[in-house]
Amino acid sequence: MIAVFVLDTPENRPVVDVADTAATTMVDRVGPYFRISSPVDIVIDRRATGCRHAVWYSSVAGLAGAEITQWDKDRMRVVSR
Amino acid sequence: MQHLTHLARGTDHIAYPTFDPAGTVQFYRDVLGFPVVHSICAAGWGPEDHPDFIHFFFDIGNDDRLAFFYYFGLEPFDGGPQGDSYSRFDATVPLFFIRSRHLAVHVGSEADLTEYQRRLDASDWPTEMRLQHETIESIYTHDPNGYMLEFTRALRPVTPQEDLDANITIDALVDVVQGPAPSMDALLQRKAELIVQRAETWQADLGGVPATVDEVAVP
Repeated sequence: MIAVFVLDTPENRPVVDVADTAATTMVDRVGPYFRISSPVDIVIDRRATGCRHAVWYSSVAGLAGAEITQWDKDRMRVVSR
Repeated sequence: MQHLTHLARGTDHIAYPTFDPAGTVQFYRDVLGFPVVHSICAAGWGPEDHPDFIHFFFDIGNDDRLAFFYYFGLEPFDGGPQGDSYSRFDATVPLFFIRSRHLAVHVGSEADLTEYQRRLDASDWPTEMRLQHETIESIYTHDPNGYMLEFTRALRPVTPQEDLDANITIDALVDVVQGPAPSMDALLQRKAELIVQRAETWQADLGGVPATVDEVAVP
């Protein structure tokens, strides 16, 4: 299982919402953070989030058992380490 | 962590040298409308060959001040084709690094930000950029000395959660830069550990009530 932490701010909410649309992801809370967990890769489409670049490129708060292999204007891909 | 009372009260002044006092006064006083609030005319003295100088101050709001030194007879120092009156850099130094040191003046509203943009755009130093960052919106220009100046407004108030996250980030950063290979990846892994250690407790301590910065800053 891999996990991405995202701080709960109004700007970050769409990132969590888009991640949550995948059938394989599970979203729960750790304090004021969302924890997006998955047994497989987590892929988030930036355009689907509607986030401006400054928000997109600062939306990740933590990685557990995971690493980011793509984080560009198109998408973020998080895989098992 | 020992609790230290926060006694500081903002910026008394930040000081820069200028080789163009006329342009500097035109820009800050006549274009931006920053009042001149203090000046010192000082004869050179001391063990160094110190030139006579004028030290002058503009009010940048909140009783904070931006000050300049003008030294009579002093010529600019060489160092490369990039930079400002204080720091010159050779052509290989990237812009993101040169622009990392700048002064940002806070304004209270979108209308006030737009008003400074209007004043700049009507001058010889027009706005170079207007950008929405994560939680602030800013305009940028360079003053007659090449110093980068930003005006910025908050898009919304900073939340207690963001203060917690800032403190977790900084603790993680201090940890990873003392490790063998500092990187964003290492930082985000360390942050995840600290989030699991601290964040849930923080939430429970709050009982749903927003914490003060002090409450979340001291582990």
